[in-house]
Amino acid sequence: MVSPIERLTCCILSIAFLLSANTAHADPQGVKFFETKIRPVLATRCYKCHGQKKQESELRLDTYAAILKGGATGPAVIPGEPEEGLLMHVIKYEDEELQMPPDSRLSDQVIKDFKQWIKIGAPHPDAGKKKTTPLSPDNSQNEVQATTLWSLKSLQGTDLPKVKKTSWPSNSLDYYILARLEAAGLEPAPTADKTTLIRRLTFDLTGLPPSEAAVTEFLADNAPDAYGRLVDRLLASPAYGERWGRHWLDVARYADSNGLDENIAHGNAWRYRDYVIQAFNQDKPFDTFVHEQLAGDLMPSKVTEPENHARLTATGFLSLGPKVLAESDLQKMEMDIIDEQIDTIGRAFMGLTFGCARCHDHKFDPISTEDYYGLAGILKSTRTMETFKRIARWHENSVATPAQKKVHQQQLEAIAKLKEQVKQATTQKDKALQEKLQKQLTTLEKNLPQLPTAMGVQDQQVSNLKVHIRGSHLNLGSEVPRRVPQMFVSTVAPKFPADQSGRLQLASWLTAADHPLTSRVIVNRIWRWHFGRGIVSATDNFGHLGEAPTHPKLLDHLAIGLIKHRWSIKQLHRWIVLSSTYQMSSKFNARAAQLDPQNNWLWRFNIRRLEAESLRDALLSTSGLLDRKFGGSMLHVKNREFFFDHTSIDKTNYQTHRRSVYLPVVRNNLYEMFQLFDYNDASMLNGNRNTSTVAPQALFLMNSSFMQQATGNMARELQMIDSFQQRITSLYQRLYARNPTPAEVTRCQHYLQEFRQAPLQQIADDAKKPSQATNPEHRAWQALCHVLVISNEFIYVK
Amino acid sequence: MPTKRTKQPTNCLHCQQPGMSRRAMLQQSALGFGNLALASLVADQSLAADKTINRRLNPLAPLQPHFTPRAKRVIFLFMKGGPSHVDTFEYKPKLQRDDGKELPFKKPRVTFADTGKLLGSPWKFKPAGEMGIPVSELFPNVAQCVDDICFLHSVHGTNSAHGGALLKLHTGSDNFVRPSMGSWVTYGLGTENQNLPGFVTICPTLAHGGVKNWGSAFLPAHYQGTPLGVASQPSTNAKVKYAKNRWTSTNVQRRQLDMLNEINREHLAQAGPELDLEARISSFELAFRMQMEMPQIEDLSSETKETFSLYGIDQKVTEDFGRQCLLARRFAEKGVRFIQVTHSDSMVQWDQHSNLQEGHTKNALEVDRPIAGLLKDLKARGLLQDTLVMWGGEFGRTPTAQGSNGRDHNPEGFTMWFAGGGVKPGFRYGATDEYGYYAEKNKMHVHDLHATLLHLLGLDHELLTYQYAGRDFRLTDVSGDVATEILA
Repeated sequence: MVSPIERLTCCILSIAFLLSANTAHADPQGVKFFETKIRPVLATRCYKCHGQKKQESELRLDTYAAILKGGATGPAVIPGEPEEGLLMHVIKYEDEELQMPPDSRLSDQVIKDFKQWIKIGAPHPDAGKKKTTPLSPDNSQNEVQATTLWSLKSLQGTDLPKVKKTSWPSNSLDYYILARLEAAGLEPAPTADKTTLIRRLTFDLTGLPPSEAAVTEFLADNAPDAYGRLVDRLLASPAYGERWGRHWLDVARYADSNGLDENIAHGNAWRYRDYVIQAFNQDKPFDTFVHEQLAGDLMPSKVTEPENHARLTATGFLSLGPKVLAESDLQKMEMDIIDEQIDTIGRAFMGLTFGCARCHDHKFDPISTEDYYGLAGILKSTRTMETFKRIARWHENSVATPAQKKVHQQQLEAIAKLKEQVKQATTQKDKALQEKLQKQLTTLEKNLPQLPTAMGVQDQQVSNLKVHIRGSHLNLGSEVPRRVPQMFVSTVAPKFPADQSGRLQLASWLTAADHPLTSRVIVNRIWRWHFGRGIVSATDNFGHLGEAPTHPKLLDHLAIGLIKHRWSIKQLHRWIVLSSTYQMSSKFNARAAQLDPQNNWLWRFNIRRLEAESLRDALLSTSGLLDRKFGGSMLHVKNREFFFDHTSIDKTNYQTHRRSVYLPVVRNNLYEMFQLFDYNDASMLNGNRNTSTVAPQALFLMNSSFMQQATGNMARELQMIDSFQQRITSLYQRLYARNPTPAEVTRCQHYLQEFRQAPLQQIADDAKKPSQATNPEHRAWQALCHVLVISNEFIYVK
Repeated sequence: MPTKRTKQPTNCLHCQQPGMSRRAMLQQSALGFGNLALASLVADQSLAADKTINRRLNPLAPLQPHFTPRAKRVIFLFMKGGPSHVDTFEYKPKLQRDDGKELPFKKPRVTFADTGKLLGSPWKFKPAGEMGIPVSELFPNVAQCVDDICFLHSVHGTNSAHGGALLKLHTGSDNFVRPSMGSWVTYGLGTENQNLPGFVTICPTLAHGGVKNWGSAFLPAHYQGTPLGVASQPSTNAKVKYAKNRWTSTNVQRRQLDMLNEINREHLAQAGPELDLEARISSFELAFRMQMEMPQIEDLSSETKETFSLYGIDQKVTEDFGRQCLLARRFAEKGVRFIQVTHSDSMVQWDQHSNLQEGHTKNALEVDRPIAGLLKDLKARGLLQDTLVMWGGEFGRTPTAQGSNGRDHNPEGFTMWFAGGGVKPGFRYGATDEYGYYAEKNKMHVHDLHATLLHLLGLDHELLTYQYAGRDFRLTDVSGDVATEILA
């Protein structure tokens, strides 16, 4: 968004005169002056923002009464007093922040005309008329919207829809899908085969390919609950949290650096990332998860210390956004940070865009500026920053254990003692001792560990905010008490305490059973991450400009179910993946494709490309390079240190074989492969990643050193197997979770021979030839692995 | 009454009800094609299917602009840091006269650093070209080209720090992540050469917004700029990544792609008609063509000695930037839509808070000849008429002194210039006040600059929108007026 002044829209649009010309009042000369000199200017330069359709700052200038009454900051015109009233003040551009019209100053002549008009008493055809037009902004429009916006209505439980093919549903959600398909005269695709299922499910729940052993075991397991046990095993695997935690990190716009203007390291953000992974692995109830992220520091503290640290770490959610840390206008910086937090909270939990209301009432959703500043007060009462001075510093909470603190204290004391000894040695002029002690001191100081801290917030002085007229902190309106937006008529608005920011109450309100959005938004995201498309396709926008749900009843059924199962996300996964809907094959159906080309009604399972992280993890995993170590920091720079400053030296380092979720997320310099494969931007919340297919992706897969390394290792591992047939079988098992056909074996043999015999052409001069490059057998196997691993069958999950 | 904008009156341009955006059009046509394609794929391969694949595979295919364009491509010569307008292209006699006196009016409410009294320019200005436009002796070679240049003397921004100002200039926003102008342009127009990226940035700086200055933000990733090298390294290293395999010979790679094509086709036949799979098959062929073409452009060995001399590549001081400018011309010739060239060393180069004279002399020397060389070369090749060259930094500098011999950042008023691409040649637009502090006459905000740039490319900045997070976004946010006076 832009600075407040820029938000003002220019008004050269022609609008027909809205008032019929009434009989001229007492002073026909004056009225003529108004009609010829003043009204045309008002109409062309002012009405657009201060007219019938819109009343910026509650001001309209298209009726006489309104002109006299003025707007939020007082009367516009006081007849006979050209030096009083706001109108003259703003059109003269005397005030740096309030200049009207905003696009350009009126000409000196026009300003003189206005002055003259006011001086002679501001004659107007309507002067003296008794009836006045209503002046305040018309809020009735918002009320209408609040009742018509589907997503604000209470959750509605429904009876299971009637279906014809009663043998198909495995659980309740299938009824909703099948009923819609049957209504359209369509049939669900047949159930997928076991090979497809294990590959789909393993990638979906863990972000990794199934191992050869897991495939063999599953294919041999003919018990009716084999699939169910597979689901349980995968959900219990730590890889599950690494996969699904990463989904949430997209929503939390997680990053290990600030980005924007000063790209310094979020040296402790990884604690939040690990917290999220743990939360998913522990199946932390989603309502608790929301509480901890918004108000972990304020939750009643009857928990163990690690749990308390986890709560403090969770509040990093509020602090992770990109900030303009060198902003010269400190008040603006503070409001920009609050704005980013409101926008994130609004979209992450409610799927609503609050940002617009910083400057004016939301135009499409029932969110007013008062609603905005009611929420902003909560965050104004929250300490996010340590200082706003250039370069501004964000706040961090201590997460040190007593033991750590004790050791730290002891070391500090030891240092103090040594210092004293050095001093003594100096006064005694014992140079040898002094040097020896100094050396010890230096070592001790150098090795003094930093006590662990985590990005996060705490409360500060509680205060309400005044409405910032047109978003400017230099132009304040009336104060708004801290409160939740008023459109949520079905919820019980919380009371905000005088001695706390109110984040805890906000979290409780969001996760109360009567809240229409929080549960809907999260079940929709989970659905999106399973199927590639949400029931509401715009996962982060449940407002008027989003899209309506394809299966509204199903959405509510799932949301109610989630709450009933105590907000258990793993329970929701089980429900979804055990359904017949999820287990459909991706078989093409020409008739269905014609009726529903986007597969909105789910007549089959969508074929999907692996996401950036899964692709990298799968490449490392199948080539035997993946390092499965859990958690911890991967940064090579210290907290608050520049990744690159003005010297353009790049301190980012992506050389690791750890899982993708642990790779540093450096804003402004994301890992290139991730950028190519539609990774989240990391500065902006995104629950619905794009999937593109472009040539630069192919270039990376063909030519990067990463691919060279992965395929080299894959070939090395294969070459340890003796028989040719077994090598090819192992390769197909690893990559595609199936055996090769005889024709495929023959093809591999044929191309291997070609690769072996290919003359060694000129390879680039700068080639760093690995030792294996000289071995034609290895080169040939590597070339073969390379082809198979960049094929569509590997990259796509069906 | 003005009738320029004929759209529906809306309440707030920020929150316009999304109309028929570029994206919607694309989506709709893609959907239309999609239906056709699916139908035809079931029967047989057809042209319609190929078109859909092409659109999916290559969203950068050229698109018709909104109206007849004056320029087809842009070369932006970006001087990182903030060149001083009062020492380069905007002559202020009163500043010279009142050197050492107080600025007779108020300084802005927010400034980056404190400054003192007026500081006259240490350089002389000489009339240049047919119109006798005054140009500082810092730019003797560019001075020879002023008859092709349209100076914009009244540009102003909103941010007095490098980071914010860089982002503002490149993305239109200094506090939120937004797509860069190059991304908007390629989104709006696609690009002419499908074997090359549509938007390249040569030796960009990684600081102060870094990638965000050529990023696509919420636009699809393929509209982001492709960087060649970085500012801190010599431009001989400016190459596109992954366009070359360092381990496998071309003939082996060709056979690999043949095998890949075979197995992918077989997989497609089993999976049924699937546009994504089909598109991905084609993407490898396109990638192969790209890696054949890219090195040819990066390789300057086919250029003549005269050309090298024209760009100053034959001299040490101008060699590095000269090579960047020559690369820019080669990309322009090959149909790349938006080319940015950054002049910066490993520091913030044009940032003389002190030692103005020393710093600006060095900086100008490095770029003067290459820039003039580029303008002359483009003109000689007939490319200048439909290539818009843009020159400038993220802000100007204060006419008042910082310390004894420096100037602070000044976003309140500064000079940028356009050349070629349908702008009035030998023209001066707007002015700052008599000392050069605030833009005064024909003020041109960065949004106006963007609106004008898009207009020259045949794009209406109010129609070039993309819906994200519930509203339509534009490069110019809710502002922007086209400076129609400068149109040729």
